[in-house]
Amino acid sequence: MIIKQKNAADAPRSPRFWAAAVLLLLAALLLGGVDRRLSFHKNKKLTVGVFAGSYWEIENGYPYRILDDAIARFREENPEIEVVYTSGILKSDYSEWLSEQIMQGSAPDLFFVPGNDFGTFSQIGALRPLDDLIREDPDFDPEAFYPSALAFGQEEGRQLAIPYECAPNMMFVNKTILDREGIALPDPDWTWEDFLSICRQVTHSTDETGVVNQFGVSGYTWVDAFNANGVTLFNEAGTSCDFTVPPVGEAISFLENLQNANSGYNVSDRDFSGGNVAFQPMMFSRYRAYKSRELSLKQYSGFEWDCITMPAGPSGDNVSRLDTLCVAMNSRTSQEKEAWELLKLLTYDKEIQKEIFDYSEGISPLSGVTESEETADMIRRRTGTEFNTDTLRRAMGKSVIAPRFSGYEEAKEEVSLAVRSILESNANLQMEQILWNRTINSYLKARK
Amino acid sequence: MADWSLELYREKEGEDVNSISQMPEIILNEMKLLNLVIFLFITVITVHAQRGYIHDGSALRFLVESGTIPILFWKLPATVVMLCAAFMLLLSIPCNNHPELVIKLLAEYGIALWISALTGFGYTGAVLLLLADAMRYRIDWKKRIWYIALICILYLVMNGNILQDFFHTIPLSQMWMYYRQDARNSLLGILNMLGLINTLVFILYMVVLTITQTSEKERILRLNSQLQAANRKLEEYAEEQVRMTETRERNRLAREIHDTLGHSLTGIITGIEACIMLMDIAPEATKEQLRAIAEVARGGITDVRHSVNALRPDALENLELHRALEKLVEESERSTGVKVDFTFPEDLQMLDQDEEDVLYRIVQESITNAIRHGHASQIRIEITRSGNDLKIHIEDNGVGCDEIHSGFGLHHMQERIDMLKGSLSYSGSNGFVIDAVVPIRVASEEEDGGNERR
Repeated sequence: MIIKQKNAADAPRSPRFWAAAVLLLLAALLLGGVDRRLSFHKNKKLTVGVFAGSYWEIENGYPYRILDDAIARFREENPEIEVVYTSGILKSDYSEWLSEQIMQGSAPDLFFVPGNDFGTFSQIGALRPLDDLIREDPDFDPEAFYPSALAFGQEEGRQLAIPYECAPNMMFVNKTILDREGIALPDPDWTWEDFLSICRQVTHSTDETGVVNQFGVSGYTWVDAFNANGVTLFNEAGTSCDFTVPPVGEAISFLENLQNANSGYNVSDRDFSGGNVAFQPMMFSRYRAYKSRELSLKQYSGFEWDCITMPAGPSGDNVSRLDTLCVAMNSRTSQEKEAWELLKLLTYDKEIQKEIFDYSEGISPLSGVTESEETADMIRRRTGTEFNTDTLRRAMGKSVIAPRFSGYEEAKEEVSLAVRSILESNANLQMEQILWNRTINSYLKARK
Repeated sequence: MADWSLELYREKEGEDVNSISQMPEIILNEMKLLNLVIFLFITVITVHAQRGYIHDGSALRFLVESGTIPILFWKLPATVVMLCAAFMLLLSIPCNNHPELVIKLLAEYGIALWISALTGFGYTGAVLLLLADAMRYRIDWKKRIWYIALICILYLVMNGNILQDFFHTIPLSQMWMYYRQDARNSLLGILNMLGLINTLVFILYMVVLTITQTSEKERILRLNSQLQAANRKLEEYAEEQVRMTETRERNRLAREIHDTLGHSLTGIITGIEACIMLMDIAPEATKEQLRAIAEVARGGITDVRHSVNALRPDALENLELHRALEKLVEESERSTGVKVDFTFPEDLQMLDQDEEDVLYRIVQESITNAIRHGHASQIRIEITRSGNDLKIHIEDNGVGCDEIHSGFGLHHMQERIDMLKGSLSYSGSNGFVIDAVVPIRVASEEEDGGNERR
């Protein structure tokens, strides 16, 4: 060994080594979030992120009623835990507010996740996977939920959120027109063929002018057609798209036929509310809202109407698209057990879930609650109709969920553009499908 | 381990330190400071941008675009500062060998990677600090190339995009999207400039380090030649010393002979000449004269004996035999750490000088052999007297030897003993054992007896 000269820099190495090690440990702990675990509050506090009013964009006068009831119930069982939420956040501002809270590290322990933003929040890892909590909780049975509603909270096989409230889209029928034309209400398992023939039957002029003023359908888009014909356009990650499969072609042909059935007239929502259109797809929440006594006078009042299942395409089924409001747990919460209890109370408790039919317009994702006779009675009482839960059961049973990858809305725009231009052009359909498939895929690739 | 040892290039204290030798250390410190400034710059701008997104209400858009949650704004500077401090501490720790250096470099790389990940891989020049640190050690070029290759690979890995995906890092360019195009370009420009300055400082450091190391080599060469010159001088001086000693001894011998034998012989010659003249005239007086001459001759003999005594070497010259032996044993024990068990009869004062010499030499030679060849740690010496024989038994616990090559030492011993008509036997099967028997003359003989046999 070389005998080294004593030098200032040769001072004992270990203090410096240990100081470095301690600093590294501190940094790791800080990044790991040890500060969240250090609670200086005596009382436990659970925070909930929620927006004011109904998810279904209908003012109903009970902005926080169900949540308040759930909190009251929760406090009865856990008086030592305080539950707070920030009130007054509009639904339109909610996702931005939540993003800011997440970036500031002050995101609530539990928060509602609007369907459109589920993809974003799951992608950034803001949602805590709940599988372990579900597995360890003997009281919680995922089977109680409608499978598609439960699937809404899943990503890559992980349950990231639990559905709180949902609504399928259904076909609204102007019964007055059908009665006038002597057409019976379609069967629950009706097809595009039935749909198209009714549309053709009703499209004509009802007065002396000879101008066509009664139409078959409004607002039936490619999304409805693709769902009805069993098309899964995007893969789960939203990195590729298959636009060339035959069902896509069938759906586009059908849309073309529908357009032609409307005599080329661009039928709008206003025409339906004016009582001049036989069919329009709408969310079930809208049915509930406008059938209720309070709002029934405002719209759709000049005619008799009801909702039925969506028509089935040749390669598909009577499929409804499901929109769901979920509740998720903050991935950085330090109070998983308490948050899970409250989450469970909100989504899984029958009494709380029943309140959805009182104070909101959606339906409960718990099949036992939604399909109960009590619920049917309540809907009948409030809507004043002979509501049949069978329709709802069918719609929920065959519902599908929209892709939720981040950027889906933009991708949808691309497909809309494709469908529109195909409908407008007279070129070979299959050729166009191949060309647009390339365009959409290169868009998806460029986006990633 | 020896070839793994490392040493930092450093000026020794007390040497005249020219200013350039301290330059690498100074530049390295400046470089550390610069890296700290760069990381803090990135951190401050990033935190400001993060706050800006929240303030402007574009947090959702930012999250959608970045696809991950950024680190909490106050945690970012806190962790970056802590990691930078840990990084600088590690850099300042010197290493003693190559494994330590490799581990240290990897640890430093880990921290640099961590800081870079936190700061969106906007700056990766901290790796140059590792290279600069590693170059401070005295490493031969072959190994040095390996170090450079290792660090370069790590540098490339850090600049690749693979790690960015692995760490889910928000790239700096995206983080700074908050700023308007022109402001963002200026900020990225400043960052690039700082990075470039870091590279330039690194190049300067390497140049200065090379110059310093070259000048150090020259200094070592200079010192080496000085050392050789001094060595040569020392050799000359030693030769001179030998010559002088010889001359002095010669002079002493000449003086002794002149003072003793010369004096006596002169007296004897003068007396004998007087006797020749007196013999016929006065036989009685001649007889008387011859007696006087005999007396002078006897005195001369005594003088000669004294002189020879004075010329005897080492311990025996001044000490009695048993004291000399004790001293020999004591010195052997002290200087070699060997344990010597020594028994010696009290009645040995009557030995003649030649006998004492032989005895002394046998013991001395045996101890030397036991230590040098046998690597013994214990020696037992037993001298006993039975009748007119002196028995010497010496054994050690050393390695012994299967086949004894009678070297100069044993040969010499044999010769000495032969002169006294004694016998010598030895064996190396179990340690090394020497048995010698020396017949001694009983102390009746006086004066000249011993000398005759010498």
